[in-house]
Amino acid sequence: MNVLLVVVMALAALASLGVVLSRQTIYSALSLVVTVGMISVLFLLLNAQFLFAVQLIIYAGAVMVLFVFIIALLSPDAEDRPAFDYRAIIALIGVAATTILVFVVARNGITYNAQGFRAAALLGACHSQQAVHAACDPYATFSFPPERVNAAGNVQTVAGQLFTTFLFPFEITSLLLLVAAIGAVYLTRRDHRRQQ
Amino acid sequence: MISVNLFPYLLGLAAFLFTAGAAGVLIRRNPIVVFMCIELMLNAGNVALIAYGRFLHSQEGQVFAFMVIIVAAAEVVVGLALITQVFRLGRQLDVDDLNEMSE
Repeated sequence: MNVLLVVVMALAALASLGVVLSRQTIYSALSLVVTVGMISVLFLLLNAQFLFAVQLIIYAGAVMVLFVFIIALLSPDAEDRPAFDYRAIIALIGVAATTILVFVVARNGITYNAQGFRAAALLGACHSQQAVHAACDPYATFSFPPERVNAAGNVQTVAGQLFTTFLFPFEITSLLLLVAAIGAVYLTRRDHRRQQ
Repeated sequence: MISVNLFPYLLGLAAFLFTAGAAGVLIRRNPIVVFMCIELMLNAGNVALIAYGRFLHSQEGQVFAFMVIIVAAAEVVVGLALITQVFRLGRQLDVDDLNEMSE
């Protein structure tokens, strides 16, 4: 499982470099498809099955089809820059430096402690007073250990949070999608008055 | 079962994807590729959210990643509509040429 994870991460990183460095737009799009697919496999390995399906359907399905459709419609030329100039080298140095910095920081436990700070604190409270049921309810403590998630199912726990705690942001996203759809229709409409 | 020791690698991958996307936004001139690089950055944020959620035993990371995916979809729709509109005006698809607002 860990070997699979490392292979998937390496493929995602290589394909993301392909997105940035390839000169043809369609090659960038195809590299992005590979990156998105690998990230979805990563979600599956990290016990996020619902997000795996959503990532495949929305990104690899809808968004990438939209990108490829626009590329086919506009057929942009390849960029007239050299494939690997000084800006690409500076960018690669920056990417490597930031990656190593974040890796070292995470390795030394600065961003994360092994117990999981909030889950440990809340579950400690749960174990000390067994009589209080609300303290042990995963939706009240926000703590979902893998065995609890596997007992209920990933979709059910995510949906349980989405439709209780995060109900208002979830409803706001429907408004966002409506505004985006109206905006896209408004932007791409043909202006009849100008043509007459 | 994924070992906790892999968490720094996951966060490193998220940083790599994010900075690669940011570099692409800065060095590429084609607006379609710039949008793809923005997608890359949003995906990097999703990887970090899912990894943290997995190792902190929390599901909110997945809820947040879900919201990010929705926002990314909306952003792509509006952005590609803008690009087609720019193309319809007979302009070249090059972000260095689109500078009317700054002059």
